[in-house]
Amino acid sequence: MKHIPFRKILIVNRGEIAIRVIRACKELGIRTVAVYSEADADALHVRHADEAILIGPPAPRESYLNIEKLLNTAKETGAEAVHPGYGFLSENAEFAEAVRTAGLSFIGPSAEAIRIMGDKAESKIRMKAAGVPTVPGAEGIETLAEFEEAAAEIGYPVLVKAAAGGGGKGMRVVWKKEELEEGIESARREALNAFADETLLVEKYLPNARHIEFQVFGDSHGHVAHLYERECSVQRRHQKIIEETPSPLLDNELRAKMGAAAIATAKAVYYSNAGTVEFIVDPTTKEFYFLEMNTRLQVEHPITELALGIDLVQWQIRVAAGEAFPYSADDFAPRGHAIEARLYAEDPANNFLPSTGVIFKFNEPRGPGVRVDSGIATGSEVSHFYDPMLAKVIVHAEDRDTAIQRLQNALRHSIVHGVITNVDFLQAILGHDTFQMGTVTTRWVEKTFGDWQPSPNIPLEALIAASLADFVQPAAAIKDYTSQSSSDPYSPWKSASGFRIRRVK
Amino acid sequence: MKSHFEYKGENYTLDLTPLGEGFHIQFGERTAEVHFARGADGQVVFILDGRKVETHVSADGKRRWVSFGGQTWMLEKTSGVARGAGGGTSSGRLLAPMPGQVRAVNVSAGDAVEKGQTLLVLEAMKMEIRIQAPMDGVVGRLVVGEGDTVEREELLVEVD
Repeated sequence: MKHIPFRKILIVNRGEIAIRVIRACKELGIRTVAVYSEADADALHVRHADEAILIGPPAPRESYLNIEKLLNTAKETGAEAVHPGYGFLSENAEFAEAVRTAGLSFIGPSAEAIRIMGDKAESKIRMKAAGVPTVPGAEGIETLAEFEEAAAEIGYPVLVKAAAGGGGKGMRVVWKKEELEEGIESARREALNAFADETLLVEKYLPNARHIEFQVFGDSHGHVAHLYERECSVQRRHQKIIEETPSPLLDNELRAKMGAAAIATAKAVYYSNAGTVEFIVDPTTKEFYFLEMNTRLQVEHPITELALGIDLVQWQIRVAAGEAFPYSADDFAPRGHAIEARLYAEDPANNFLPSTGVIFKFNEPRGPGVRVDSGIATGSEVSHFYDPMLAKVIVHAEDRDTAIQRLQNALRHSIVHGVITNVDFLQAILGHDTFQMGTVTTRWVEKTFGDWQPSPNIPLEALIAASLADFVQPAAAIKDYTSQSSSDPYSPWKSASGFRIRRVK
Repeated sequence: MKSHFEYKGENYTLDLTPLGEGFHIQFGERTAEVHFARGADGQVVFILDGRKVETHVSADGKRRWVSFGGQTWMLEKTSGVARGAGGGTSSGRLLAPMPGQVRAVNVSAGDAVEKGQTLLVLEAMKMEIRIQAPMDGVVGRLVVGEGDTVEREELLVEVD
């Protein structure tokens, strides 16, 4: 009989990651408390949890980011630990501190580790001291003259970025001296808006780099392990789209070197729980540099889970309860190849603007080696308040080519009606020679797909289907049939799609 | 029966004529025969020129979300301004497109009906099939009643 680490956990997140955490809790025999905003009363994560508490209006600031309300919820429900998921408060040192001060366990690293790694300038200084290679650059500078001097020394192009940054915000690539002042100003504005902190740093920009990150895991007993890499070079505006493991670039020698650097990074901040050390790698020289450390569970964690056969979320919970993390990289023999594609509610034909609406249909792909982590179901509303990611389609196969084919087929069976998705865009990437060869660099998507548009053609089959649908409808709708105007040729299935669920458990 | 759709500013008109077992399709110069195979839960499966085609359709007001071959389109159903002229070619003899049971009869003999009005509803393989007036007219013979079981190609109703 396994020891149960906690009796009840509060999950202060929403969408697929809240559901992912609930699943791990259920397996461990832990009761779950979900929180939701007014916009999420019908959301899937609310249905999955044992209890669900309304915490406020839709705006994140008043609900999912409201520390006081979340702590009160923890107290009122008797939760013993808090899982932050990713995004929202997951990398907020103040929240981690407040949870622990309230006598609860925060499922994540120390507030100090979050604070250090959240400061891109300070973390860089620490990593240099720890002997981890960092991108040549300068931090702790302020005036234009200082930036000009630093940029001249490291050589253009340079990247000006917010010290408090993340997710590509407050970041500008500057190609020559004349553009530096403007780049600094716009990065500052954005940094001030997004992080209320205009501190910038400058570093060498590597236009043809690969983004390769290492999963690390530490425990409260001082042990830190790396759990191999994930390559995330397929990005659009610094947002990851497709991730895979193993990286097509790494050989065992480089993997071992980077893994050791990842462990050194985590140890430098006495890291406990799951974290990710991001590197950029120059594919020609095979030099790698510390980029940043994400002090939380990563969106793309499932590919590591599939290739290693480990449950990272379960271990997050167990380690937070004081258990030792028993593994090192050598305990695993990563198997085959895993790829994840992020299905977003966004319109590639319309500058990737988020698409909102009610989900009329969501067909999840199934089959051997296919995993779907999703936060939506028929009837879910996709609102403009939150991240437009609908689901992650993750595949595992014996080798990379087979995994790509599996993902292509899975995406063909990922059908979403109600919002426009990026599924055609994902297919265009997966089908591209450069992706298939495994040589994608971080600017490749923008260079290759800058003007990409979905095909404007509609096949005859689609038109026939749309016409036939008005003749044919599910029998479930029959009972409402007589109330419909007989001359109305429209909305044949309207009555079948109005799906509501219980609001309160 | 004409269906009009708009997609990204382009207009598409499809003319479906109920045949004994299925529909005759006219799309521009292209003609084809479609045999409805089955449908459930928004899935519409049909045989087009002997080939099985699996699609998914959702309706949201005038919007039609259609998926086929891994792609999805959001079509707008329009009234089709040029409608009406070709109505006379449709036959007024409406046959059952597939075997099933009559679930509802909305008209009586002698009723005046409008083009597109649903005359009766057939249930087959858990799907509801609307039998609609192909043109403005008057219900002539009403052959079936609610609860009747009909065979494929059996005459259901005539509109004169």
